[in-house]
Amino acid sequence: MIASAAPADITYTEGDTTLKLKTGKIQDAQIGDTLNTGDTLKTGSDGQAELDQKGVTIKISRGTVFTLMERELAGKTSSVLSVALGSIKYKYDKVSGSEPFIRTNGAVAGVRGTEFTVFSGADGSTLIAVDSGQVDVESEGKTVQLAAAQGVEVPLGQPPGDPIPLKSDQIDYSKWNGDKLASMLADPIGSMTTIQSVMEEYVKNETDYYNQYQASQAQLEQALQTHNQILRDKGVDEAKKYQEDVFLPLTVQTSHLVLNYRYYSLVALSLRRFVAGRMYVTLKARYIANQDAPEWKDFVAKYDNLMSTFEQSIVPRLVDADI
Amino acid sequence: MRKLLLAAAACAAAMALASCASLQHSWDQGNVETVAKLINGGQSARLAAMSTTPFLVDGEIVLLKTDVAGFWDGIIKAGYKVEGPVLQSGEPVSPDGYKRFADTMEVRAFFVQYVKKDNRILELKTSAGGKILLIMRDSWFSKTIQGFKGPY
Repeated sequence: MIASAAPADITYTEGDTTLKLKTGKIQDAQIGDTLNTGDTLKTGSDGQAELDQKGVTIKISRGTVFTLMERELAGKTSSVLSVALGSIKYKYDKVSGSEPFIRTNGAVAGVRGTEFTVFSGADGSTLIAVDSGQVDVESEGKTVQLAAAQGVEVPLGQPPGDPIPLKSDQIDYSKWNGDKLASMLADPIGSMTTIQSVMEEYVKNETDYYNQYQASQAQLEQALQTHNQILRDKGVDEAKKYQEDVFLPLTVQTSHLVLNYRYYSLVALSLRRFVAGRMYVTLKARYIANQDAPEWKDFVAKYDNLMSTFEQSIVPRLVDADI
Repeated sequence: MRKLLLAAAACAAAMALASCASLQHSWDQGNVETVAKLINGGQSARLAAMSTTPFLVDGEIVLLKTDVAGFWDGIIKAGYKVEGPVLQSGEPVSPDGYKRFADTMEVRAFFVQYVKKDNRILELKTSAGGKILLIMRDSWFSKTIQGFKGPY
């Protein structure tokens, strides 16, 4: 039913809805537009949208940032639906075996033929409510299984809580998000410490995949030379065999590694932009007339530390169009 | 006679250039005064309406209109005032202009992708001694703000 990283067509828009293409171009989102991998749909305070991804309906609520991503898992490319902020409702008709993953700033959910809603909070926390089917929610190495009429909250940097009875139409997202924002701003140092910890986890994953990519790329270059040597010494048939047995699998492996280090780079960018960055702007305004306040200075020191990590490890993997 | 005519023409050109520069300076000063007046008058809704997205706050790119509105609302609620604004400099956006906000890849990419060439970077100084940077565009029909940095 859903091919990995399948495009999604916009079937409904209302209010302020913007499409940012992976090329960096920003345009108003319109019915008939298509989201491809790397594209982001953003809704304003009065915006809503609906997407169709090969029979799957995705409803995008107000104040939401939604991106189509992809990554490699177990040797194949998998679609990842990223909710950096706001809330999305998904409805799948039936289990197909190729459902995408759902990603927020702090959790990953695997779904099986289901209807559920994902809420991504200002502080990086996640709330998932399942209306039908089953959803596995993973964070910090722990997985929680949710059945119909169950939900779970995942604080940023922590494993999922226990499943609770919950239906998506019972949730006041605005209040939930407001409470999360207030908690985050009440303890900016603690919040930044958590963000730093999660960022370091993303950096570690990105670095691992990048190092593997470099090794694979070196093997690929060597394999190309070997292929050309075989072509010269043993002819087309032998070269073709080498290409199928060695060169092409290495090409696929290398491209998968690119997918994965780019995936973690973009996830880190999302955390930096939609959690840490928004926190900075809010506190900047609060302390603009009192920049000598110790709490502001302490926050800026933590923020600068996070930016240093991000600049050193993630920025080299980004391109202008990502910004 | 010819020399006299040439000298007169050069003089006229110099006067025209000086006049243009003077006019630009007046516009820039007017623009910083407008922003200061709106901040001091608590006009956060008007500031938000003048602001474009994406918007730059120091080195942070703000993507959501509600966040830009929240920023203006926040500085006004914090009691921030821009007293006695005096234009220190006004220059068109240039390839290195982004560095005045932050010398980072993200801010450079922000300028490349989102800041049109007819924007200007305005630096103002307040009577309290603080400085503010603004990215502004002033057409015949509207003024827009695309960035704010400071006070520093």
